[in-house]
Amino acid sequence: MAPLLQVEDLKTYFHLRDGVVKAVDGITFHVDKGETVGIVGESGSGKSITSLSIMRLVPEPGRIVHGRILFGADGQPKDVVKMTDEEIRDFRGSDVSMIFQDPMTSLNPVLKVGFQVREAMSAHDRFSDEQSKARVVPLLKKVRIPGAADRTKAYPHQFSGGMRQRVMIAMGLSNEPSLLIADEPTTALDVTVQAQILELLRDLNREMGTAIILITHNLAVVASLCTRVVVMYAGRIVEEGYTRDIFKNPQHPYTWSLLRSMPRLDAARHSKLLTISGLPPDMSNPPPGCKFHPRCRFRVDRCLEEEPPLGEVGPNQYARCWVLMQNALVTQPEKAAAAEVPIPPLSAEPAQIDQRPDPDRPGAVKA
Amino acid sequence: MATAPSDYVFQDEFTADSTYETGEAVSLWKDAWRRLTSNYFALFGLAVIVLLLLVAIVSQFWTPYPTWKQGIGPTYGGPSAAHPFGLDQVGRDILSRLMGGAAIALAVGLGTALLSSIIGIALGLLAGFYRGWVDTVISLLINVWYGIPDLLVVMLFVVIINSRELKWIIVAISITAWLNMARLVRGQTLALREREFVEAARSIGTRDVGLLTRHILPNALGPIIVQATYLIPAAILFEAFLSFLGLGAPPPEPSWGAMCAEGYKSLQLAAHVTLVPAFALAITLIALNAFGDGLRDALDPRMRR
Amino acid sequence: MTLEASPEVESRVVDKQLALVSVEDVTKHFPIGAGLLGGGSAVRAVDGVSFEVRAGETLGLVGESGCGKSTLGRVIAQLHPATSGKVIFQGQDLVPMRGEKLRRMRQELQMIFQDPYASLNPRMTVGEIIGEPLKNFGLARGKERSNRVHEVMRTCGLNPNFLNRYPHEFSGGQRQRIGIARALVLNPTFIVADEPISALDVSIQAQIVNLMEDLQNRFKLTYLFIAHDLSVVRHLSDRVAVMYLGKIMEIADSHSIYENPLHPYTKALLSSIPIPDPDLEAKRQPILLQGEIPSPVNPPSGCRFHTRCPIAQFPICSEQVPPLESKVDGHLAACHFAGQL
Ligand SMILES: Nc1ncnc2c1ncn2[C@@H]1O[C@H](COP(=O)(O)OP(=O)(O)OP(=O)(O)O)[C@@H](O)[C@H]1O
Ligand SMILES: Nc1ncnc2c1ncn2[C@@H]1O[C@H](COP(=O)(O)OP(=O)(O)OP(=O)(O)O)[C@@H](O)[C@H]1O
Ligand code: SF4
Ligand code: SF4
Ligand SMILES: [Mg+2]
Ligand SMILES: [Mg+2]
Repeated sequence: MAPLLQVEDLKTYFHLRDGVVKAVDGITFHVDKGETVGIVGESGSGKSITSLSIMRLVPEPGRIVHGRILFGADGQPKDVVKMTDEEIRDFRGSDVSMIFQDPMTSLNPVLKVGFQVREAMSAHDRFSDEQSKARVVPLLKKVRIPGAADRTKAYPHQFSGGMRQRVMIAMGLSNEPSLLIADEPTTALDVTVQAQILELLRDLNREMGTAIILITHNLAVVASLCTRVVVMYAGRIVEEGYTRDIFKNPQHPYTWSLLRSMPRLDAARHSKLLTISGLPPDMSNPPPGCKFHPRCRFRVDRCLEEEPPLGEVGPNQYARCWVLMQNALVTQPEKAAAAEVPIPPLSAEPAQIDQRPDPDRPGAVKA
Repeated sequence: MATAPSDYVFQDEFTADSTYETGEAVSLWKDAWRRLTSNYFALFGLAVIVLLLLVAIVSQFWTPYPTWKQGIGPTYGGPSAAHPFGLDQVGRDILSRLMGGAAIALAVGLGTALLSSIIGIALGLLAGFYRGWVDTVISLLINVWYGIPDLLVVMLFVVIINSRELKWIIVAISITAWLNMARLVRGQTLALREREFVEAARSIGTRDVGLLTRHILPNALGPIIVQATYLIPAAILFEAFLSFLGLGAPPPEPSWGAMCAEGYKSLQLAAHVTLVPAFALAITLIALNAFGDGLRDALDPRMRR
Repeated sequence: MTLEASPEVESRVVDKQLALVSVEDVTKHFPIGAGLLGGGSAVRAVDGVSFEVRAGETLGLVGESGCGKSTLGRVIAQLHPATSGKVIFQGQDLVPMRGEKLRRMRQELQMIFQDPYASLNPRMTVGEIIGEPLKNFGLARGKERSNRVHEVMRTCGLNPNFLNRYPHEFSGGQRQRIGIARALVLNPTFIVADEPISALDVSIQAQIVNLMEDLQNRFKLTYLFIAHDLSVVRHLSDRVAVMYLGKIMEIADSHSIYENPLHPYTKALLSSIPIPDPDLEAKRQPILLQGEIPSPVNPPSGCRFHTRCPIAQFPICSEQVPPLESKVDGHLAACHFAGQL
């Protein structure tokens, strides 16, 4: 079966006065029908520009300079890059819709919420005016706005952040798109609200079969919602695969390090987090060779000159690295060990995990 | 511009290779200068200002003829090789007087801008920083002052001081001109005092004076400079207006305004006596305003690209 | 002499039973919409909070956005005057202190800010920023001052060669190091850190967490660590206080809070946090709270959490304010039905 979305060697560049920023530099990935795919990476890695490219909404002076974005699972996929303005208008919002990080800036503050949801439908011709009108309340109910019928007449500022994000999701889903792109939908929200929104997205995916691309820098959010993950670094995909494989058996040193640099709720206080030294690269002047090499503890000579290809490293798992973790753990065990942070088992022996004050601390009062 | 390679190495911790790390380049001022110099209208303004400054300086040491000397040639004499801008109603050389007038204009412009900025900045800082009753009093003063016509203030001042020396003219104009600066600085201060770095400065024990001079003022400098550059042409125009009314610098000071006023009576007979200083005044004002606009755009962070 | 070996650090006590800072019934109300007649209401950002921070420990303060964490941190650091209550530090109540006395006190009590972009003066060089505290207290001049600045920069992982650069030339993580160096240069005893890592890139956060831990060990610092990220708090803290709508809901040592939360809010909060492990994630059962935090202008009566609490019982929960009291040895919770969710 053909995938719903197939991005092929997409390059989106920004031509600035002092050079070219290769925000997205040759990425290839696909999303199957009804699938949830996470795109993770740190700030500036090109996640948003990837999704904006799919929507053909790249801001000036950015431009898609290469590649194809094939959409449609019905044997006759269309290339989004080549669509006419007419076609793209129809494509946005009805085939694919997008929700953004900040729900306040995406809603019109002077229009009533119910009206805005209806507008989202009447801009397309999937539903008649009558139908659109009738769908508003059920949609708001579906995204679990309490008292939906009464709240259609409210203005966005009368809603809380989480409710505004729900309205955005309702608008995104109003035309029953087959793909929903959510760009950091929960970053601006609190954990308890984040949990509600993630639960909502999970249910919508299950009930309506809408495929979801979830963009985030939070690996835990990906673990909670996505079946597959794409890890981006400096405009490139550095690792891709099923969520379980990536988390259990990461092959790219960046993914591997990132997973060990995060404090985890399921691990009690431990000695030290792994740090990824250095800074994310400056995208107008990226390093030669492997883009991660200035920060990579496993690098070999080859990494400095030649950029590795995105190669298959296991069933359905791909990584862009000359060394790969499976080899690094064998050939450079001391580096791997130095970086390895033991995660004490949860609830095993509470008294032992929490033996504070740490007697090894300088200045600690010995009991 | 490479950023810090962290020499803070944890025990057996790997350190990154920092060759390719870069920070944001250009500073605000450098960036502003670049934008200013790509604005031709502002550059024209700057060129005129530099020329004016040179002429004003030269006029203090040398003019073709003494600015006050009458009967150098025929009264109302037209332009000639010896007197490129002609002669006025009492036979003084207009070029010489124009040069002397440049010095007066600049002295009034810069002096007023400086003095009224000092008053405005001081009151604005106090009102914005201390708020409460200090702000109430200063804001009331500003609003009342706005209601009183500037001309009235200056006339009263000149009468009370009973002198029309240039320095008193500058003081007189300054006490009418600080209002906008005070408002601007008050607003800036109100906003800046809530900024986190000011709070941080407070937390490290910075005294109020330090907060005002090291943290608030330097960050309000951009708009202050822009406002001050607008004060210069306004003051020059006001002085010309006063001189035109006979309230400005006393004769035989070659104030451009006075020159216009004197030639005005014989406009039909010898237009050049009025037109030459009027033209000089106009060019100067246009140049100063162009420069001020350029500066404003250059320092406006929204114009950053 | 290095900062580390200074007599102040030498004599500093690390005793996690001993209160270094005691916060007693502190409130902070921001008046809003006060009309001509003096009416108008107030944002009750912090509304009657008591706890202590013990010598040498890290007390984590967590809660959702707008619950008053930053306000409380600022009140303790004396950047906002408290509306009422006491903040006792080294035996003295800081709240009524003003002027020079308060300024002197600040040497001992520093703050690290959330936003590494907004908290550094863009018009000052890094050297000036880090040297300013010394200048303010006349602690070191000339060569001595620059030596101290160099030392602190090195301690915080900044290259002293960058002394003359401006903040905008640094990355977020480096700016946060500058902020930490500025707080450290006075050799304080107590540091309030208001979400010091939440504005940073994921790959950079661990650098700052490790730095803060390391500094605590070397200088015997006491931290009040404010965060909304419970994972980081678990990693760093000895004890944790959970705040909701201007009040402390639960406070206990880190282990008890995470392993055995007694307050339903804490429990819901912990269950909401995704874990970066797909297998554990599949098993996690979040307790989904209905709705969102009510407005702090007129918080709910009785227990503030009753509008969202899954086990609330009426009318008791909406009428009686549950006191913050010890439930099991030293584990304090403010709930009528603690431990029943
Ligand atoms: N309008 C623009 N002009 C120039 N460069 C841009 C512009 N927008 C984005 N970029 C560059 O494109 C790169 C990728 O940006 P993008 O917004 O996709 O990052 P992101 O991964 O979404 O990061 P974040 O997590 O911060 O949202 C960045 O390095 C940025 O410098
Ligand atoms: N200066 C102020 N004037 C009026 N209200 C304020 C002020 N500062 C904070 N508040 C209000 O006090 C409440 C608590 O704010 P605070 O910043 O302490 O929350 P927080 O817990 O730090 O949240 P966050 O996680 O978003 O930083 C909020 O409702 C806020 O709107
Ligand atoms: S290619 Fe080399 S530098 Fe890049 S991630 Fe792999 S080991 Fe590290
Ligand atoms: S007191 Fe009542 S409403 Fe409050 S947390 Fe406990 S059970 Fe819930
Ligand atoms: Mg983005
Ligand atoms: Mg805060």
